[in-house]
Amino acid sequence: MIKAGQIDKGTALLIKGQPFICIDREFVNPGKGSAFVRLKLKSPSTGQVLQETMKSQDNAEDINVEMMDFQYMYNDGENFHMMNVDTYDQFEIPMANFPDYQYLMKDGETYRCTVYGDDVLDIQIPSKVVYLVAEAEEAIKGDTVQGATKYVTTETGLRVRVPIFIKQGEKIRVNTETKEYLERVNS
Amino acid sequence: MKAAKSRSLLYGSIRRFFDQRGYLEVETPSLSPDLIPEATIDDFGTTFINEFEGSRDMYMIPSPEVFMKRLIADGSGSIYQISKCFRNCEQIGEIHNPEFSMLEYYTVGYDEVDSIALTQRLLRETALPNCPQSVLEDFEILSVRDAIMRYTVPQYTNITDAGTTDLDMLQNPKDLREQAQRLGLYVPGPESWDDTFNRIFINFVEPNLPKDHPVCLVEYPKQIECLAQRNGNYRRRWELYINGMEVANCYLEERDVETVRAYYKEEYNKLVELRSQNGKVIPDADASFADIFDRFPKCSGVAIGLDRLLMVETGRCDIDDVLLFPFPL
Repeated sequence: MIKAGQIDKGTALLIKGQPFICIDREFVNPGKGSAFVRLKLKSPSTGQVLQETMKSQDNAEDINVEMMDFQYMYNDGENFHMMNVDTYDQFEIPMANFPDYQYLMKDGETYRCTVYGDDVLDIQIPSKVVYLVAEAEEAIKGDTVQGATKYVTTETGLRVRVPIFIKQGEKIRVNTETKEYLERVNS
Repeated sequence: MKAAKSRSLLYGSIRRFFDQRGYLEVETPSLSPDLIPEATIDDFGTTFINEFEGSRDMYMIPSPEVFMKRLIADGSGSIYQISKCFRNCEQIGEIHNPEFSMLEYYTVGYDEVDSIALTQRLLRETALPNCPQSVLEDFEILSVRDAIMRYTVPQYTNITDAGTTDLDMLQNPKDLREQAQRLGLYVPGPESWDDTFNRIFINFVEPNLPKDHPVCLVEYPKQIECLAQRNGNYRRRWELYINGMEVANCYLEERDVETVRAYYKEEYNKLVELRSQNGKVIPDADASFADIFDRFPKCSGVAIGLDRLLMVETGRCDIDDVLLFPFPL
C-alpha cells in the first residue's frame, strides 16, 4: 500500500485489478480542506487513461515492479522489439501503448523500463536527448514570417522546428516531452 | 523579467485603491508565538533563541489574520495589508508555493455581500493593462449548494442514475458518502462530512467551473469549520474562482466569544490528532484570542492570493513564472 500523496510520475498501481502507471499528478488543496492529489493514470495494455482524485492520506495499491535495462533493436510497425541487456530475453512491446516513441528511441540505445510480469509498463526516455539531423529543408531567404525557423528530421524520424542555421549532419538537443528544439550541439 | 514590473504596478494600484477609500495600510509580524488553529494548513516552526530569557517556539504566519483582527478589535477601523504568508506542505506545483503574497483587507461595517461588490471594483480598478477580459467580467454569484447540483449531473459524471446531489438533503456523513459512491467516487470508508464534500467538489465542481468569467462561490457548508458566521446549514463565506483557480476567500467575521473559543478547542484537537501521526509542526494556539471579540465590530475580511491574481492578469499558468526566485526543489 502507498499513500496517494506519495504517488509520483512513474509509480505503478493496481486499479480494479489492472496495472496502471501514473503519468501525471497534481496537488489540489480546497480552501480549508484536506490535501488531495489528482492523478492521471494510464493502462499500459489498453492505453486507457483515467483520472483519479484521492485524498493524500488515502491508500492506493501499488505493485511490485522491476526496473530493467532494455536495448531497443527495431520496430515492425506494430511492436517494439527490445532486449533485456542482462538476460538477453527479448520483449515485444505494442507500439500503440507508447505513441511517438518510435521517433524518440534510437536503435541500439539502452532504456530503463518498468516491468510488471510480462508487461512493460513504462519506457524511460531522458527528458533531453541529442539527435542527428538526417534531413534539413533549405531555409527560404527572406522568409521571416515563421520567426526564421524551418523543419528538420532526425535520424529517428522526429520532425523538429529549428532555427534556420541548423544543417544536415549537425546534432541538436531536443526536449523529448514537448519535442521542441533546445540547442545545437557541437561535437 | 518574470512579471516584476507587472507586480510593482499592481501593488501600486491596490494601495491607491484602498488609500482613496480611507483604509489604513498596516504591517504586522511574520513570526508569531501562536496561530489560529487550522488543521488543514501546515505550518513552518522555528525557534527564537535567547540565552537570558530562555528560548521559545515561533511560527511563520499562514495569514496575517491573527494580528489584523487584534487591530480591528482595538479600533483601527478598516485596514489592509500586503504580506508574505507561509504554508508548509508537500503541495508544490503550478498554483502553490510554500511562501506566497497575500492581500488581506477588512472592512468595518461590511458583510460578505458588500465585500463581493468591493472586490469586483478592486479587480476592475487595479487591472493591469492587457488584463484578459475573463478577469474583468461581472462575477457570477453561485451558491455552493447550487454548484454541486449543477456539476453532478450526468453530463459531468457520466453516471445516469445517481439522482440529485442536494446538500440540504445530505447533511448526514453516511448519506453524503453513499451519494458520492453513487456518483462513482472512491471513498475508502467512513470519514468526516467535509472530506466527502471535498471529494465531490474537487472531482466535479472545481474542474468544470467556467473560465470565461470569475465565479464567486457563496455559502460554504457549515461543516467546513472556520471563523465565518453561520447561517443554517451554511456559512457566510465565499471564494472567488478566476480561470477555474481559487484566488480569494472572504468571511463575514465571527464575533461571538464563545463560538470562537469553541472553534479554537475543537480545531486544535483535530490539528493535534492529525499532525502527531506524521510528525508535523504543531503550533501553539492561544484561546484567549477569543476575548477580543467582546469588542469586535461587524466586519468582513477578504484574502486574495496576489501571485495567483498576477498569473491570471498576465496570462501565465505556472506560479513560478511570476516569482523572481521560485522555491528551490
